[in-house]
Amino acid sequence: MIKVDNLRVQYGDFVAVDDISFSVAPQEIFGIIGPNGAGKTSAIECIEGLRRPYSGEVSVLGLNPWKDRKELHQLIGVQLQDTAYQDNARVWELCQLFSALYPNPAPYQELLETMGLEEKKKSFISSLSGGERQKLSIVLALIPNPKLVFLDELTTGLDPHARHQMWDLLLQLRAGGLTIVIISHFMDEVEAICDRVGVMENGRLVTQGPVSQVSNKFNLGSKITFTAPQLQAGELDGISNVTSVSLNHGTVTVLCQGEDCLPEILTYLRDKGIPYSNLSVTRPGLEEVFLKLVEQSKAQSG
Amino acid sequence: MKINTMTKVTAFELRLFSRNVINMFFLLVFPTLMLLLFGGIYGNQPKPEFYGHGTVDISVPAYAGMVISITGLMSLPLTLCEYREKKILKRYKATPIQPWSVILSQFIVNILMTAIGMLLLVAAAKVVFNLRFEGDLASVIAVFYFSALSLYSLGFLIASLAPNMKAATAIANLVYYPMLFLTGATIPFELLPKVMQKISQVLPVTHIVESMKTVWFGDSIWSAWPNLLVLAGLLVVCTALSLRFFRWE
Repeated sequence: MIKVDNLRVQYGDFVAVDDISFSVAPQEIFGIIGPNGAGKTSAIECIEGLRRPYSGEVSVLGLNPWKDRKELHQLIGVQLQDTAYQDNARVWELCQLFSALYPNPAPYQELLETMGLEEKKKSFISSLSGGERQKLSIVLALIPNPKLVFLDELTTGLDPHARHQMWDLLLQLRAGGLTIVIISHFMDEVEAICDRVGVMENGRLVTQGPVSQVSNKFNLGSKITFTAPQLQAGELDGISNVTSVSLNHGTVTVLCQGEDCLPEILTYLRDKGIPYSNLSVTRPGLEEVFLKLVEQSKAQSG
Repeated sequence: MKINTMTKVTAFELRLFSRNVINMFFLLVFPTLMLLLFGGIYGNQPKPEFYGHGTVDISVPAYAGMVISITGLMSLPLTLCEYREKKILKRYKATPIQPWSVILSQFIVNILMTAIGMLLLVAAAKVVFNLRFEGDLASVIAVFYFSALSLYSLGFLIASLAPNMKAATAIANLVYYPMLFLTGATIPFELLPKVMQKISQVLPVTHIVESMKTVWFGDSIWSAWPNLLVLAGLLVVCTALSLRFFRWE
């Protein structure tokens, strides 16, 4: 579907995208995450044929996205970061306009129904909520009957219910044969729907792979929480691999690095006869990976 | 680019234009109101200071400058700026159409609506004040469209240089109002003091008004050559600068 080799984007002397390579397979949902200014949008714009790469090879559906961009644009659907539409246009008019731009458009009536927008068909864009505008963006991205869609910060501005709806929809579309590339700030989103993820920082692709593998690579250990009002401060510090312990009104949060330290903690509590409840162990997710990256990049630049 | 697609894009833009109440008022209603006002006060009897023409006779070709200015200096640059600011131009870039076809459709819509505004004005003048016309219709139409093209290039330059909507609105107003009042496009040029008449020579709309009046009263299109030359110069300079500075996003 997509193959990117040593892609580089430069604005003057500033290197926005620094030599990245990755590929996306058919029917995959691929996520690109990273802090603001990491180069995500610049990279994706090269793949969409909206920006000319400085160097490197990009191939999308067998086409060169820059040289064959008008041919490519017949085959892909795009949702750009914060595009607005004409306020005094009605929803159906925009749908009709976009249908006229493509050789083989999908019936927009059905798309509006799937997205729950059919009641807004006659509304002006100016009267739509943030969520409805995002949904309209998706409808317009799907009108080309694409094999591949790009969604840049898809659920920004949506409420939790609408986000979950959107995720279900994307999974449904993928099941129907669509390949999806998303850019996101939201780690729960990437974890919920992406098959693979690429993490960008300072223009580089720091790591890529299946979601679970990516978080493991960062060796972030695990988080253990439980309630034990009798536990004293400092008691667990001696246990090997424990990196931090915090107590807050009887709730204990222990961070462990590397080897699992749960058995040792439980042994300690039993031996001392300290009662505990509400025990939970969380594997670190992309959220932690993301926060760690932001810290690293701050440390480097500051 | 298929003609059919272009037609649909243009029809869409035309529909949006017709919903813009301010544009529609200043284009279709305001010129006629002005004409009724001045015509009502001064009538349309031949007057020596207008070389034997009536106030309405001399106002109608001059108002072409006003009508063209509304679309060329306000509607066109502000819409293009808005489309850029809202990333609508960029969004079109990601579709199979050439992005310039959106700009072309804006030109077409504005030119079309300008012609309608002018026709309404002529019709009102004919019905109410029995407007006299002594020129060659083809020459009048040619000068009208050439003037529109020339002023649109200035509008396009405003859209190219303005960094955002706010700036575009400020620049457009700054250019539009002097053009409206100092060029004869609303107040007859002959009534302006000599000093103002000299100053207004630098304003392009003055040359639109002059060349329109020339052909309206039956002189040949070639006798307006100094005015048309200024407009041609404006067209060349603004187009060249726009091509250099226009940004899609």
